[in-house]
Amino acid sequence: MDYIMQGFGEAFRLLLSFDKEIYGIILLTLYVTTMSTLIASCIAVPLGILAGIKNFRFKKTVIRLLYTLMSMPPVIAGLFVFLVLSRRGPLGQLELLFTPTAMILAQVLLVTPIIMGVTYNSTREKGPSVRQLAHTLGADRLQSLGLLLFELRADILGAVVSGYGRAISEVGAVMLVGGNIKGHTRVMTTSIAMLQSMGDYSQAIAIGVVLLGLSFVVNSILYQGQRVI
Amino acid sequence: MDVLAKNLTKRYGDKTILNIDELELKQGVITGVIGPNGSGKSTLMKVIAGLDKEFEGMLQINGQTADQTAYRDMTLVFQKPYLINSDVYHNIAYPLKLRGQTKQQIAEKTEKVIELLQLKAILQQNARTLSGGEGQKVALARAIVFEPKLLLLDEPTANIDPQSMQLMEDAIQYIHQKCRTTIVLVTHNIRQLQRVCHEAVFMREGRTEQRGTVEAVLKSIKGNYLGELLEQELQI
Repeated sequence: MDYIMQGFGEAFRLLLSFDKEIYGIILLTLYVTTMSTLIASCIAVPLGILAGIKNFRFKKTVIRLLYTLMSMPPVIAGLFVFLVLSRRGPLGQLELLFTPTAMILAQVLLVTPIIMGVTYNSTREKGPSVRQLAHTLGADRLQSLGLLLFELRADILGAVVSGYGRAISEVGAVMLVGGNIKGHTRVMTTSIAMLQSMGDYSQAIAIGVVLLGLSFVVNSILYQGQRVI
Repeated sequence: MDVLAKNLTKRYGDKTILNIDELELKQGVITGVIGPNGSGKSTLMKVIAGLDKEFEGMLQINGQTADQTAYRDMTLVFQKPYLINSDVYHNIAYPLKLRGQTKQQIAEKTEKVIELLQLKAILQQNARTLSGGEGQKVALARAIVFEPKLLLLDEPTANIDPQSMQLMEDAIQYIHQKCRTTIVLVTHNIRQLQRVCHEAVFMREGRTEQRGTVEAVLKSIKGNYLGELLEQELQI
């Protein structure tokens, strides 16, 4: 029990001591998760809306695939990105493996289906009524889309929050493609995994507490945003 | 706005939902549509409004096949309207914003319908938090604020209190008198039909069985349907 309490004490000590390494890890975590969520949102929200309002060939298959990808194990995403970026892979010459960019790519792969799936479901649920209303009030196609986006704003933010939650808590993919290199690709989740394997529970708990706090702050901001809009 | 439907047929699979030989809705006339549930009243509204374009036959608006311009001049209000997840004022002003009207114009036009339907007290309230009756009033306000040339009302006053019903009927009369709007009102309320409408159409099994003045149509309705309507009315 002592070492758990010690861990909490260590967490505050680390934060208050402005330890350069810890803050580096926190900033890199924020950078990777924010970038991956932003990129994934830019891809997934339009695709989710499109899939929700349009009928196209093989739609059912596409949606089944989407739902499968929503629960894709992170190590599979990591393995895929690893193989693509490895020296013998199709994008090997870009030399992105074991860089934050590779970690972002892996997380984009993980987060995009989640945001797209949630957006698709909301669009499918609300889309027909919203488009019907837009038509009866004389909206053109663009105005109709504008109204749909307005009506889906809270759902889209909810989808982004879900995606961010996945990104910040993810360890398998970033470990595979980032390599957990100190000062370069080490993020909070990979740090915790490494410290735990080294038996340094105090530090692991400390970073875990910080990660939880960070996740709480970011989600609180997004949740508040969802309520306000 | 004139509407002319000829040999209009609408099917869902093997089932024929609409089978109208001829129906003409003349400019400036308020037509009440009555008929039992499942007689095709709502489908007819959706077809005229352009929400359902999969039908056979001819449907003309002002002598031409309906297009986006025609749809922009008409609107349809449902019994359970969809309200935008925003305040009541935004809901009412929305059609005017769509038409690029100035803030001044929006303020003037919304003010009139807000007064007509007595919505001032709930203007800042989120439309999603309104009661059913309040929501129906907001939907009507939103429909008449841009002065449509064709107003389609699908049981807009169903399940609301007599005072609100009176306000809504006054608002319908107001827009009719002001703009000579062609109005189609689907209702199950005979007294409302008599109060508001100039003409009536009785529908059954997708067909327009009777058509003419309100009294003439009511007299000609045979069977239990009229009795059922009166029974419903007595419960109001």
